Amino acid sequence: MAPAARMRLLKLAVIWVVLLTAPYWSAPIGGYPALCSRVVILGMAAMAFNLLLGFTGIMSFGHAAFFGLGAYGAGLALKFATSSTILAIIAGVLLGTIAGALLGALVVRRRGVYFAMVTIAFGQIFYFIAFRWNTLTGGDDGLRGFARQPVGIGRWLLDIQHNDILFYDFVLVVLAVVAGLMGLLLQSPFGRTLLAIRENERRARFLGIAVDLHIWLAFVASCLFVACAGALYACLNNFADPTLFNYNMSGTIVIMAVLGGFRAFWGPMLGAAVFVVMQDYLSSMMQNWMWAVGLIFMAVVLFFPRGILGVLRRRASA
Amino acid sequence: MKGPRLPSRRSLIKGSAAIGAIGALQLASPFIISARGEVPLRIGMIDPLSGSYAAVARSEVEGAKLGVAEVNAKGGILGRQVELLVEDSANDVGTGVQKAHKLFERDHVDVLFGDVNSAIALALAQVSSAAGKLHIVTGGHTDGITGKDCHWNVFRVCNTTYMDADAVTQVLVDKLGKKWFFLTPDYAYGHTLQAAFVKLLTKLGGTYEAALAPIGTNDYSAYLIKARASGAKVLIDLMGGGDQVVSIKQFTQFGLNKQMALGGALFELESIQALPANARTGWWTMEWYWNQPGVPHVAEFVANIRKGTGKTASARHWFGYVAVRSVQLAAERAKSVDGVKMARAMEGMTLPPDVALMPGTFGYRAGDHQLMSSVMVGEARNPPPGDNPDDLFKVTALVPGEKAALPVDESGCTLRYPA
Repeated sequence: MAPAARMRLLKLAVIWVVLLTAPYWSAPIGGYPALCSRVVILGMAAMAFNLLLGFTGIMSFGHAAFFGLGAYGAGLALKFATSSTILAIIAGVLLGTIAGALLGALVVRRRGVYFAMVTIAFGQIFYFIAFRWNTLTGGDDGLRGFARQPVGIGRWLLDIQHNDILFYDFVLVVLAVVAGLMGLLLQSPFGRTLLAIRENERRARFLGIAVDLHIWLAFVASCLFVACAGALYACLNNFADPTLFNYNMSGTIVIMAVLGGFRAFWGPMLGAAVFVVMQDYLSSMMQNWMWAVGLIFMAVVLFFPRGILGVLRRRASA
Repeated sequence: MKGPRLPSRRSLIKGSAAIGAIGALQLASPFIISARGEVPLRIGMIDPLSGSYAAVARSEVEGAKLGVAEVNAKGGILGRQVELLVEDSANDVGTGVQKAHKLFERDHVDVLFGDVNSAIALALAQVSSAAGKLHIVTGGHTDGITGKDCHWNVFRVCNTTYMDADAVTQVLVDKLGKKWFFLTPDYAYGHTLQAAFVKLLTKLGGTYEAALAPIGTNDYSAYLIKARASGAKVLIDLMGGGDQVVSIKQFTQFGLNKQMALGGALFELESIQALPANARTGWWTMEWYWNQPGVPHVAEFVANIRKGTGKTASARHWFGYVAVRSVQLAAERAKSVDGVKMARAMEGMTLPPDVALMPGTFGYRAGDHQLMSSVMVGEARNPPPGDNPDDLFKVTALVPGEKAALPVDESGCTLRYPA
């Protein structure tokens, strides 16, 4: 095996060992299973978002829309239609993906600031729908009255409903599938084409690549994975509320990706860990915790524009 | 040629890493403390310490802190000292739910308090009942909490929206007429409060129009223009906390106070204090008031709150205080801090005079876990008659809770204890 490949496998092994054992080693330093699940779920959303920012070079500021659709899709399905957590997650993913495909088709021709602005508008549209449609979504009160259900695999029934660590493991399984798919996508010729578009869109166009189609496909894939994270998020809290659609949420996703390092595959996961854990600690201590996060974000953008992982990498290669 | 290298870059990175490491240690250290021989009883309290309801939420926390200090001074609960862990819900339901998971999973609290925001209180109840712990809703008023969304483990100190509406509707109609315009917050609290008012008003032959405004609205001009155009004689301002303050300020700034009267359900001491003198008018309800001459223990409680905070005690201080003392009473009755046992002990439990702090005997109703305290109806006033600048409300009637509340079988509550 080539040393580079061996190194990659080793890194992957380390990441998964850290993730798998997180509920145990984080407990003595103030962690708890729901926090670990939050990190992984939001990290999944940030990684999915990064498919666009980091690997296609497109800035979406409305990914909260698809995160929220995933959450409400799963929540509504659990509340009204099904008692299967898996089916509910699939419902959330479908809702988010379909919306992503339709809205994506409207924005693929836009670039830069215009793309970002139109995507913000999408998020706010769904925010106000969720806020005002009291009878279906519960309005500002949020969607209550559903709970994730135990998952049956063959003869075993995994009680992810009451066992938080088991639910965390369930989230990790979904992450493995999502990360695997994203990895394959990026390794494929399609992924390479996205990189080409990121590096020089005009050249890619001159080479005969259907740029808009590729961006649309990347957008839909990104929405699919973000919606999956959203559906898991609804299952984590047994709850969904309109702020999931808010531009604040979109901003959080962007911050997590940039903080961790958007040129690296796992960077957004690291960013999510830093962001969520800081929020958890600081918000118990002071009401203006966003102030501290804002300072760190500014420092990262000014001094380490490639994020935390970017700095570590440069260290390693130097 | 390379110029002299700025020393700042590398040392900056190292320096910030060092500071970060120290910071991390600072943050982490409180959590490594492991169990000691004497484990304190932990009460988690989630309240919106930032956002529109910050002022009233702070009062609730201050009241609870006074309760904890008093209980601890007398030897704690069942010999265990009480520890109050306060978390900010930021007036956001999702954050509140997240904090509840944190308090139950990491801090292993035995009891949960909160939240001022009705929607958050409803969502917290879902988490606390799944965790099997006693939960006292200190200040979220929507009917559902002790109505159709009631839980075996959830008790409520403050009134239901129906109680407040029922106590004041007749007075509002007598004093201000039957043509109303509701300004209602667009969430659980506003929805049930307005529904109760509408039901009672139409029974008396009144008519109304209404506008729903989101929590945290800053500009009420559109709603106020609509109110004036409706031809209503009175603005029923149901907004809560800081939102009510802002909306009434704009109501007087636009000169609407010369054309319309003002009234509603809650007009809390914190809100009256925050308003200019000419806006302190109208007929309202108060759930507890500090100036109750002749009622035992009230003066002492007011003095203790003033000593601790420098403020005049409000209904919110009382909510927080009653919640802590209720846990103490329930634990002593149950001789346990187990969720189910304490909940059973609290059913039908009446509050002694030093906790009730108002006339009459009342307690938590067994059928729906609602505290049956009396509703104080009266008029906001300015200037205050006595020495205390906070004597801004004149209580004209005391409506017993049992009379104002819907009977249990109409509340829609069925309690299901875990098997």
